[in-house]
Amino acid sequence: MSAISAAEKVDGFTRKSVRKAQRQRVQGSSQFAVNSSRPAAPEISALPQLKDASSTEQHALFMQKLQQCCVIFDFYDTVTDLKYKETKRATLSELVDYVSTNRGVLVEPVYPEITTMVCTNIFRTLPPSENPDFDPEEDEPTLEASWPHMQLVYEFFLRFLENPDFQPSTAKRYIDQKFVLQLLELFDSEDPREREFLKTILHRIYGKFLGLRAFIRKQINNLFLRYLYETEHFNGVAEFLEILGSIINGFALPLKAEHKQFLMKILIPLHTAKGLALFHAQLAYCVVQFLEKDPTLTEVVVRGLLKFWPKTCSQKEVMFLGEMEEILDVIEPTQFKKIQEPLFKQISKCVASPHFQVAERALYFWNNEYILSLIEENNAKILPIMFGNLYRISKEHWNPTIVALVYNVLKTLMEMNSKLFDELTASYKSDRQREKKKEQEREELWRKLDELRLQETSAIQNNRHEMQFTYSNKNNNNNKLHDKDENTAAAITDRSESDTWAE
Amino acid sequence: MEAFKLMKELKSNLELEVHYLPKETGLSLIESTQENGNGVSAKCRDARVEDLLSLTNFFGYSTQTFVLAVNLLDRFLAMMKVQSKYLACISIGCLHIAVRVTEEECNVSSSHELIRISQSKFTISDLSRMEKIISEKLNFQFKAVTALTFLHLYHAIALSHTSNRKDVLNLDKLEAQLKACLCRIVFSKAKPSVLALSLLMLEIEALQSADLLEIFHRIQTHLKISKADLAHWRGLVNQCMREYSSPECAKPDNKKLVWIVSRRTAQNLHSSYRCIPELPTIPEGAWDESESEDSSEDLSSGEESLSSSLGSDAGGLYFPSNFRSRACRP
Repeated sequence: MSAISAAEKVDGFTRKSVRKAQRQRVQGSSQFAVNSSRPAAPEISALPQLKDASSTEQHALFMQKLQQCCVIFDFYDTVTDLKYKETKRATLSELVDYVSTNRGVLVEPVYPEITTMVCTNIFRTLPPSENPDFDPEEDEPTLEASWPHMQLVYEFFLRFLENPDFQPSTAKRYIDQKFVLQLLELFDSEDPREREFLKTILHRIYGKFLGLRAFIRKQINNLFLRYLYETEHFNGVAEFLEILGSIINGFALPLKAEHKQFLMKILIPLHTAKGLALFHAQLAYCVVQFLEKDPTLTEVVVRGLLKFWPKTCSQKEVMFLGEMEEILDVIEPTQFKKIQEPLFKQISKCVASPHFQVAERALYFWNNEYILSLIEENNAKILPIMFGNLYRISKEHWNPTIVALVYNVLKTLMEMNSKLFDELTASYKSDRQREKKKEQEREELWRKLDELRLQETSAIQNNRHEMQFTYSNKNNNNNKLHDKDENTAAAITDRSESDTWAE
Repeated sequence: MEAFKLMKELKSNLELEVHYLPKETGLSLIESTQENGNGVSAKCRDARVEDLLSLTNFFGYSTQTFVLAVNLLDRFLAMMKVQSKYLACISIGCLHIAVRVTEEECNVSSSHELIRISQSKFTISDLSRMEKIISEKLNFQFKAVTALTFLHLYHAIALSHTSNRKDVLNLDKLEAQLKACLCRIVFSKAKPSVLALSLLMLEIEALQSADLLEIFHRIQTHLKISKADLAHWRGLVNQCMREYSSPECAKPDNKKLVWIVSRRTAQNLHSSYRCIPELPTIPEGAWDESESEDSSEDLSSGEESLSSSLGSDAGGLYFPSNFRSRACRP
């Protein structure tokens, strides 16, 4: 039998495979404590194949196999119960096929057995993370140890839900709020394969069980809020958002108040999460879907994003800019007018950012045809906001790629409205000149003060009478730095010869 | 007496200006050239000059640099028949020469930077060879007398006559207008003295200053500029200025700009947020959720909890009782 040969195969472990298994940092299903006394070794004996059974026996056999699969095995220990683990695996695999390919197998008594089997196998308290500083881009996730079985259980459950004979009205007695709640908690699993299954399963449940929809939405919101404001830890945010994306896509118009609240109180604040990079793509998709459904939400959304604009995290800033471009891609021109000024004030700051990726991303907006047409329509308002920073960084930015991009943007703006551009250039230049002049005057004054002091020092040393005169003049100077007082001027010119001598 | 000096300068420049005029026949040839051919057409030349203007503005060069560059370009194009594929190199060459002649050394940008920013395809050695050719063909006559020269002189004369109203004639504005005019090849045919005077007269008329008008009528007679000439050019300048000032912007349609970004940014650009979701849309029914018996209680509390503000009263509402009791179970 296949079970025995499989057991034989895994009997003689090589050292290498043992080490590899240990390195994989499998986590135990917390149904088993490592050192506690185990119940008697679970045994399951192989039952006859379903395909071999007659149609009358099949149903009973099916139930038997389901019950059999309620026995849980300890995968933390990789060498025990191999024979029985294989039996269960084969059984589960068979069940998957059975429920996928056959019609008429989902009779009512089967429903509770199925849900019980699924509950027993997958509902568990997730163990705490072995690596609290888990970085999804760098680290390997900790995988579920009992995945060989669990994967098949999930597969089975999914096929069950998708079976054409599936009756939500029957199933809702067993797939109830308690079931759903436990399912939602599992989204915190570190194993991405598990979350993938959970996502699809929850999506199907949401689709078929109309009575559970409000509950599911509320619970997901709770989990988001807990994540955002309490724990800052939840692994399933991206998966939830993917499901929500398909839900938002299906919203009926006009949008319910509940949904708008969801957008403002949950989706927008989610942008402030530390782990935004893990789910930003899905989050942005949700936001854009909302705006496509109801464009009047544009102003609150954009103002919300601007309020939460990252100030110290450049990686996030780049993400926000990407999302903003996506929003602008679908924005209506009337809505654009409402938010253009605060938006471009922020973009102007981004363009001047010393972080080259932020600056690049912001400048790249001008490569987007639709955005360009919006800017063109409103260039009289937008050009003055952008001009100062663009002109300044064309001279000052350290990164040559940025400088080249700034040229592109300036050239585009120049061609949009030459007259305004020239006016802004002229006023910018005159402002700079005024500043420079002030700076020079200030420095000149300080220089003269310095020399007056030198004079005073040398006067004291030489014991001259003028000392007092100098001293009181200097006081004058100190008190009225910006005063073009004649006394001061006179004092300075008196000293001019000595000044040159001092130099 | 300063006015007298200025008038003398004006006269001497008037005599010199003919030496720096591009050949009229050459310019006419350009104007009549078809666009799709090998030669340089008017549109081609105008587009190039606009590019030069962008570069001038970007690098912060003076108006003098730009005007000189255009002058060199027009003179060169009017005497040599060139293929349009060399026009980019020629125009940048003229700009570079003008920059070296006019700007302070510290402000002169390198050939490399010029080529990079203008997104040109030729090399530094191409550019220096072209500059040599241009310089030789133009006999190194770089100190051209241009419309800007006259504009400055006219402005100085106006100042000297109306000392109490110093900022009446805005030189910056006039220079900007001149730059806009030079982007059209038609104005290269005008005598610089006449072109500058046309600009000035239009501005004076806009200001409705009778004094200045009188002054410049006298100058016109003094310089022996014909009324017909002036009227002709004023008409063209007027039209050009109307387009320049119009709030309707011309959509930038010349060559596509190249947007080069760093690798990291390019990678992020391609990860589209609008990825097609694998999950099919779940349509919201108008009737759903309100008819189910199991969730009707939670439905109402759900609506409440979301619409109440997040804050002190959030605690009780967000975690339904059955959830809390579940959490206590082992």
